[in-house]
Amino acid sequence: MDVSLKGKVALVMGVENGVGRALAVAMAEAGADVACCATRPSLEVAAQSCANEVWALGRRSLGAAVTATEAHELEALVDKVMAELGGLHILVNAHDLPLALPLEETEPHYLRRVLADNVEAVYLAIRAASRPMLAQGYGRIINVVPLEAERGLANASAYCAAKAAVLNLTRALALEWARRGITVNALGCGWIEGEGLAQSPEAKAALERYLPYKRLAKPQEVVGPAVYLASEAAGFITGHVIWVDGGALSHI
Amino acid sequence: MSVLEKLGLDGKVAVVTGAGRGLGRAMALALAEAGANVVCAARSREQIEATAHQIRQLGRRSLAIPTDVTNPQQCTRLIDTTVEQMGRIDILVNNAGGATPGYDKPVEQITDEEWRLGIDTNLSSVFYCCRAAIPHMVRQGGGKIINVSSGYGLRGGRNNFIYCSAKAAVINFTRSLALTYAQHNIQANCIVPGFFPHENEAVIRYLRGGQFIPVGRVGKDEELGPACVLLASALADHMNGAIIILDGGGLAGGQAPTGLAPRIPLAEG
Repeated sequence: MDVSLKGKVALVMGVENGVGRALAVAMAEAGADVACCATRPSLEVAAQSCANEVWALGRRSLGAAVTATEAHELEALVDKVMAELGGLHILVNAHDLPLALPLEETEPHYLRRVLADNVEAVYLAIRAASRPMLAQGYGRIINVVPLEAERGLANASAYCAAKAAVLNLTRALALEWARRGITVNALGCGWIEGEGLAQSPEAKAALERYLPYKRLAKPQEVVGPAVYLASEAAGFITGHVIWVDGGALSHI
Repeated sequence: MSVLEKLGLDGKVAVVTGAGRGLGRAMALALAEAGANVVCAARSREQIEATAHQIRQLGRRSLAIPTDVTNPQQCTRLIDTTVEQMGRIDILVNNAGGATPGYDKPVEQITDEEWRLGIDTNLSSVFYCCRAAIPHMVRQGGGKIINVSSGYGLRGGRNNFIYCSAKAAVINFTRSLALTYAQHNIQANCIVPGFFPHENEAVIRYLRGGQFIPVGRVGKDEELGPACVLLASALADHMNGAIIILDGGGLAGGQAPTGLAPRIPLAEG
């Protein structure tokens, strides 16, 4: 079977996160050239460091940092990727702005920010990348979602709403582009050390007792199936989520 | 190890039920291509011998063991023979199953025999093979169980009771396997194939070339292979109790006919 990504160019958004960075590296290991983009201008160093890791694997790369909610910056980013890496075949959206507060402490502008950074930014990244993908009739879009996209969690109403939105926009765009060569899927991640709401100090100990594997995952453990989704071999899969959660969602 | 190296199955031993044709044969061959030695099971010796022959031509060891998966003794014999002859069992693909007589009847017309045969073929078979294989996997320190369910295990079908019930049960059986054996390093996951070309004639007529499927075509047998290899590999060690759906987008929709794409402009003001 061939899940090699040789000859493909991937754009990974959110490389400042552990999962985003691991995804960029995994795509490079599988043979893709990878543009590594952080989702705030202040995170340029993280993006360059990720790009350097891709170079060290012998792939071409570029590092960038944008305001991920600004459509024109994303358009310019896609142009830059096309110009410098010669194409765009794979878009990975690993954006993540965590928030865990009771509703009565969630100020209206916190909610707007959570929706903007977790949903609007993903939508706009897809919108920018879809231009070349629709023109060439080929694309692989992978949205990274946490367990909060599928299940509720106390103190996480805004975050849960945002992540569920990403999961269902995945399904809608899959249907919209089903006959245009673009698949749209999600990588569903379980609890990962230092990521998302697992950053909460009290969460880790409780989760280690609860989870089937009795531990949280490292980012590198959850990204493999995304390489499969990004490959030509997965062309019949669209509109779905592949969960890599160690069995967390199997619980009642 | 790079992500692509983690997909390798060199030295692993797999058992695939229903390996004589279609999706089962495609998965057996894909596992062999990835490096596994594969034991092929099904009722028809001729068909599994043909699959086993193809696997040997890939340079892997293979056995063909005629097995009726509705018979618990035969399932136990399949697994025990595998361990005796191949030394171990790392991967169990429970693929055997399908429509049985009465699958398309309304409830009031289904006989006891039809119900039992459908449940035995599609659900009990999974239980029998897992029951036989899991002690070996626990002793070996791990294993991979891949159960093949169906879109009818996630959604209902008109006049489709036996198959829908059994395939839904397979998914939830898999989740309980995932929770129970996680501590033994055994991962259990499901593959849900959508419509593939070797469906029965009634289904093929209904599909009309796959125009009701969002991507506009039915699946190809060989498209199932990579998903099976992924789940059997170290790349999926953190996948447990999950489902990979290969259906050309069918289950992403389901609230409206395929192709419905309304346009409503933003309200002014």
